[in-house]
Amino acid sequence: MPNLSIKIGNTTFKNPVTVASGTFGHAEKYFNLEEVKKLGAIVPKTVTLLPQVGNPPVRIWETPSGMINAIGIENPGIDVFIEKKLPSFKKIGVPLIVSVLGHNPEQFVSIIEKLNSQDGIAAIELNLSCPNLGHKTLMAQDAKATEALLKKVTSISKFPVIAKLSPNVTDISEIAQGAEAGGADAVSLINTLTAMAIDIRTRKSRIGNFTGGLSGPAIRPVAVAMVHKVYQAVKIPIIGMGGIAKAEDALEFIIAGATMVATGTINFVNPRASLEVLEGITAYMKEQKISDIKDLIGCLQK
Amino acid sequence: MDQIQNTYKVISNEKLCQQFWCLSFDAPDLLKEVKPGQFVHIRSNEGLEPFFRRPFSVYRAQRYVEIFYEAKGPGTRLLAAKTKGDPLDVLGPLGTPFVLPSLDIKQVVMIAGGIGVAPMLILSDILKKRKLDLVLLYGGRTRAHVYPMKEFKDNGVKVHIATDDGSVGVKGRVSDLFEKVKFNSHDTFIYTCGPNPMMKAVQDFALKNNIKGQAACEEIMACGLGACLGCSILTKHGYKTVCHDGPAFDLDDVILH
Repeated sequence: MPNLSIKIGNTTFKNPVTVASGTFGHAEKYFNLEEVKKLGAIVPKTVTLLPQVGNPPVRIWETPSGMINAIGIENPGIDVFIEKKLPSFKKIGVPLIVSVLGHNPEQFVSIIEKLNSQDGIAAIELNLSCPNLGHKTLMAQDAKATEALLKKVTSISKFPVIAKLSPNVTDISEIAQGAEAGGADAVSLINTLTAMAIDIRTRKSRIGNFTGGLSGPAIRPVAVAMVHKVYQAVKIPIIGMGGIAKAEDALEFIIAGATMVATGTINFVNPRASLEVLEGITAYMKEQKISDIKDLIGCLQK
Repeated sequence: MDQIQNTYKVISNEKLCQQFWCLSFDAPDLLKEVKPGQFVHIRSNEGLEPFFRRPFSVYRAQRYVEIFYEAKGPGTRLLAAKTKGDPLDVLGPLGTPFVLPSLDIKQVVMIAGGIGVAPMLILSDILKKRKLDLVLLYGGRTRAHVYPMKEFKDNGVKVHIATDDGSVGVKGRVSDLFEKVKFNSHDTFIYTCGPNPMMKAVQDFALKNNIKGQAACEEIMACGLGACLGCSILTKHGYKTVCHDGPAFDLDDVILH
């Protein structure tokens, strides 16, 4: 059996396969728990400081090999999450990466302080890149702001901190460097690409929030290129995601430089996708006689 | 539920009338579980085009699970190409079913438009076992959209039809059929499914006349499991997912447009 274990910060994960936030929901009871236990980590939907009702319908639209979404981080807020959701996620017995979003640095700090009183959390992912909340610019569109926020958060967080980055930037490696300089233990990329679809009969946007974020296999080549770029710019691990539908896709990300990979939108179509990716990576390593996943990470040939 | 995704065999897939198809598949485990108003989420192809699964109300669950659909988009056209023996990738049964009428209810009025008639047949299959007056008010665009009235009549359902062009029944809308029924606020229960403007007319009528009931709602859906929160609609209690909190919502709770 090849060694699939990887490290982020000081935390070891038994394998590199996880799920992208927002695609595993808070619907933990719908997944076959015995199977979910095989994953390297799970990531529930992003939680904010206060409850959010989300955006008005229509929230999603099907596109070629993907979808546009503008859910608007509908969630019960960090207090309810800690009280009601966290215990059931912890019970699954898989390392838990909690995705959080603050509308300003102070909110991020408040969320981290609340999570610091908990245990059983493997890492915290800062969602710096949700495009659907009416912010003029995203935290992850400003390298200096990203660095400053990460400094604040990492100085107080008792858990490893991951910065989730946006592809809606000129140069994603600059933002990744900002996160690294601020002390991030890892970066995850990519979040969705700002996108739009129009109903030509009504001449209105298909999406209630007007614009949304594009995800799914349609964006995979963009994500692979960004992982490759960031891998050359930072030393911290990369969690790669964006349109992974099968093991071959995930392997592209790993070869490009991702230490960990996440299935996202495909989970909506194939709830077993993340497990199939894990099985496929293991089979590939056996076939290629690779005994340690670390030998694959960033092994792209020129 | 341990396993909600399974591959079943298609038993038959037939065009029932000019517009509507019925696909049945062999799923003994679903048969036992499925309740009126629930749906199955079907992946019509192995590739990524179209990308989403397609949700279908269960239409019947007797020997096989049956769905009733209109082949009009990329997903349903692929579904129409399935033949006997083909594998079918199904998630389900999903969603919150219709509540069944309480014991003081004497009359059940099902009000459906177009393909919205689908969940009403399985509902009448269940309700015919009780001593209830069953009525179906059905609206279709043309004669080609009027199906499966015989099955309803076999279940003892009194059927009234309206078509846009008058080719069958009354010329007009479903709401033009309300006068055919004697609604009682204390012992009538309404179930409705169809286009939102039609359900809104039913809701307005029900609320005005103080009649209880439920609507089976529809929205574009991705996961079907309450995970993505993509299919949320507004209720008096905030946003609720059609796939998990619904499709069945109380008429005095859901906000229709």
